[in-house]
Amino acid sequence: MKHLLRSASLAGVAAVALTLSACGGGDDAAEDGAAVAPTDAQAEITYAIWDENQKPAIDQNIKDFNEKYPNIKVTVDLTPYQQYFTKLQTQGESRTLPDVFWMNGPNVQLYAANDLLQPVTGLVESGDVDPSKYPDALNELYSFEGTQYGVPKDFDTVALWYNKALFEQAGVDLPTDDWTWDDFTAAAGTISEKLADQGVYGVVTELNGGGQSSYYDSILQAGGHVISEDGTSSGYDDPASIEGLRLWADLVADGASPSVQQLSDTKPNVWFNSGKAAMFWSGNWSVAEMKDSPNKDDFGIVRLPEGPERRATVIHGLANVVAADGENVEAANAFLAYLGSEEAQRTQAEMGAANPAYTGTQEAFVDSVPSFGIDVFLESADEMSFPYPISKNTAAWNALENELLPQAFSGERPVEDVAKELADAMDEELAKE
Amino acid sequence: MTSVDRSPRAGAGVASPARGSTPRPAGRAGGADRRPRRSHDGWWPVLFVLPTMFGVVLFYLWPIVQTGYFSFTEWGAFGGQTWVGAENYVRLASDPDLGTAVVNTLVYTAIVLLGIPVAMVVASLLNRPGMRFTAFYRVLYFMPYVAMPTAVAMVWRLIFNGDFGVLNWLLGLVGIDGPAWTSTPGFALVAVSVVGLWTSLGFAIIILSAGLRNIPPELYEAAALDGATAWRQFRSVTVPLLTPSVFFVTVITVINGFQLFDLLYALMGQANPAIQQTQSLVYLFYNEAFLRNDKGFAAAIAMVILLIVGAVTLLQFRMQRRWVTYA
Amino acid sequence: MPEATLTRAPAGAAPRRRGSRHGSNAWAHVLLATGGVVMVFPFVWQLLTSLSTNAQVMSVPPVFWPGELQWGNYAEVFSKLPFLQEFWVSVSITVVRTVGQLVLCSMAGYAFARMRFPLRGVLLALVLSILMVPSQVYLIPQYQIVNGLGWLNTVAGIAAPGVFSAFGTFLMMQFFKGVPDSLEEAARLDGANPFQVFWRVMLPLAGPSLGALTIITVLWSWNDLLWPLIVSTRAESMPLAAGIATFAGRTTTDYTVMMAASVLAMAPILLLFIVLQRRVIDGLAHSGLK
Repeated sequence: MKHLLRSASLAGVAAVALTLSACGGGDDAAEDGAAVAPTDAQAEITYAIWDENQKPAIDQNIKDFNEKYPNIKVTVDLTPYQQYFTKLQTQGESRTLPDVFWMNGPNVQLYAANDLLQPVTGLVESGDVDPSKYPDALNELYSFEGTQYGVPKDFDTVALWYNKALFEQAGVDLPTDDWTWDDFTAAAGTISEKLADQGVYGVVTELNGGGQSSYYDSILQAGGHVISEDGTSSGYDDPASIEGLRLWADLVADGASPSVQQLSDTKPNVWFNSGKAAMFWSGNWSVAEMKDSPNKDDFGIVRLPEGPERRATVIHGLANVVAADGENVEAANAFLAYLGSEEAQRTQAEMGAANPAYTGTQEAFVDSVPSFGIDVFLESADEMSFPYPISKNTAAWNALENELLPQAFSGERPVEDVAKELADAMDEELAKE
Repeated sequence: MTSVDRSPRAGAGVASPARGSTPRPAGRAGGADRRPRRSHDGWWPVLFVLPTMFGVVLFYLWPIVQTGYFSFTEWGAFGGQTWVGAENYVRLASDPDLGTAVVNTLVYTAIVLLGIPVAMVVASLLNRPGMRFTAFYRVLYFMPYVAMPTAVAMVWRLIFNGDFGVLNWLLGLVGIDGPAWTSTPGFALVAVSVVGLWTSLGFAIIILSAGLRNIPPELYEAAALDGATAWRQFRSVTVPLLTPSVFFVTVITVINGFQLFDLLYALMGQANPAIQQTQSLVYLFYNEAFLRNDKGFAAAIAMVILLIVGAVTLLQFRMQRRWVTYA
Repeated sequence: MPEATLTRAPAGAAPRRRGSRHGSNAWAHVLLATGGVVMVFPFVWQLLTSLSTNAQVMSVPPVFWPGELQWGNYAEVFSKLPFLQEFWVSVSITVVRTVGQLVLCSMAGYAFARMRFPLRGVLLALVLSILMVPSQVYLIPQYQIVNGLGWLNTVAGIAAPGVFSAFGTFLMMQFFKGVPDSLEEAARLDGANPFQVFWRVMLPLAGPSLGALTIITVLWSWNDLLWPLIVSTRAESMPLAAGIATFAGRTTTDYTVMMAASVLAMAPILLLFIVLQRRVIDGLAHSGLK
């Protein structure tokens, strides 16, 4: 039964390691986030990412990093998003996390709360990382219980994409930065009516896979909230939130937007890309796709319309984090600091990888497609952005949102009922955290 | 020296021969009922079985035991496990999703099982004497099995697309307004099952072809000499002797049917309004384990799946007696 | 082929007249061809997609014929993936798993089918039971074992759990059960021990089943995705299926290059199948029964 014993002892070792790291230990350097390695340090570290489109920019970053740190070898581990967090969880259980890796809002608290991430406090104190260079909302997103764990890498805000040609065809005035909800819904309705025989809809957005480009924004615009400040209660039963949800239910009911099933079968970006939708709520991540569209010359971007309460968009971005139990924390920190630097972030913009978080480095991204008007995203970040809603086990209530909200949008059930049910279920999940 | 031990073999559901009216092919000693058996084979079985058992225990059975243990605990994403007794099972028993998942999985499996008769027909057609291009056909029928799942899913999503897909276009030609197949409950399950059927046909054809090849032609000659028609030959020679292969394909298809997950995830994905009603048992497991981070509850689901599939398979093995003929 | 002297009617057909074989096969061809089209056209579509541009792929209504064939997509595969290295990894893990299974499963299958030993039923049930839990159950425990052995990022680590197969054991067991006793009896009477019986009598007969097992194992191993993705952390130590999956970007995917890579990855397996099916399934049956 040797193999059984071995497995048992492996499990035992894992359990012990878990307890030890959970204790935190008396290593001050580790608690503050250890120092950065000297430039002649030798190490091999892994960097885990999930977007193949950004790999060329990452490779360039590594090359530039090696100019300062020639002996630190960085290997990129690319895993598709669909499997990324499954893999990360598996690695986390065995404490074999990559040295540096991408993290997103919904998952950061889970890893931070389990002491899997290295705080960046040490780097901030030594001046290697300067949080003031990144949007506050992002720093907040990646802080847990007062400590910041990640260095922001990029950010996305949401804006209103539109197709000039379709507007002209339907005889509707083009969207402006001063639009309100009423302007928006009126235009959507008119266009769907007038261009119905072409199979064109007034507006499309993601209604099935999370609210970042739809109801999170509209809820904020109506004065509601998704989750309370302290992360303990749901905001879905707030009447203002319900109004935010109702915007979309009405659009679907009027035929201004395709149905929930249609949007699931054919993704919203495909509708817009092919010129089958006049408006599209989406973030700057769509730039990469839309710039290759056959209809690209007709595309424009304005800020999201003003809701009953305010203008708003959620802001979200990825961050680079360092594993707490890594073997080469100092080398990893050096790489992390580089990735957060102005040079590295500017490279991202220049190579079209993403919209970097570092203030002032985004010009290349904005200039990549002048006709779109990409600066709208930056303005939105500065003037009207709110942090993406998260908690320790975001996934649990995201699943509830995806389960229940489509029933409200499709008109199957009244919006208030669905919202109330969602709020109750979400409160239950939050209570477990 | 071998002793002629006529007692039936020990062990779960091992074949006694098919009872009933299937006539024995001429030339066989009447009734392959009892075989001579050695009473014990000494240490030889250890040599033959140990390597497999070693790997199976280390990589598969131990994890199952662990999972069984975890099913009685509450286990968050990275935290430790706390014992909660049967709480997960109680919760599972009252979870409406479990019933839905069981039904969906059964429906899927049933539809995919329909592929077995189809495979029998195809394998027989391919086995016809003088049949040309058999290699070519076999390749054609096998290709779905060879193609990469990601590619397959993408193409079928396009076919089933509610607004622009080929299927609805064809239906539109005869005046039917097709639904958004993969996003509407009910229809989604049918769509997924069709793809499952399409993919697994090649597998069944291969196994059944091998089975057909194993039938010695002398049996057909002998039957023909006895005056049996071609159809009678098929009924009396082909079908009974093919039953071990059919049994195998059926058991494996059922087991694989209960494992439905990848296809669901690829064709529909989490962000699909119909996924809630279309989820399979393994999808339920994955959802709880990796998406909701409730691993203890997920372990309980895994145990329940094991029980259900184990029971169904045991049933199949027992029923084997009734219809499977071993030469 | 030896059976050519006999006519055998397929299921459900009316009794055939003997002779006029080719004439009566025409309808069989029609049926098979129609079915074949259904089987194959998604693959044809995949081929067409690999020769299109992304804009054409993403457009609705979908574009079938790309017009200008984008052969450049195939070249791009090699610049985006370490294709040859990953191909080599795929080959290595597939060979290890297939050879391992052929040896272990035929032996274990024979034992379960033909030998008597205590707890045989129990062991068989245990072996089959591993097929009955969701495969993701094994992810974390297997990862921990492979990690403990220091086999992350290696061919050994990826291949190891797949060498042991309940499916393969079951397949071989069913085959051996179907072999007539007379052969084994004869060998035993000649004084052969079980291993010699296995080696000289049983194994040579097992050609078709071993061939089927080979094909199925090769295919499964070639397309195996999640486990290799989790065990490898470098592109160079991933097999092809995992490498191709990495084409799925977060918000946009280069479908055309992904499809091109899939076609390239599928080609060797298809070739292998064509070769194998001729030699094994068509050729080896019925030897040794006299």
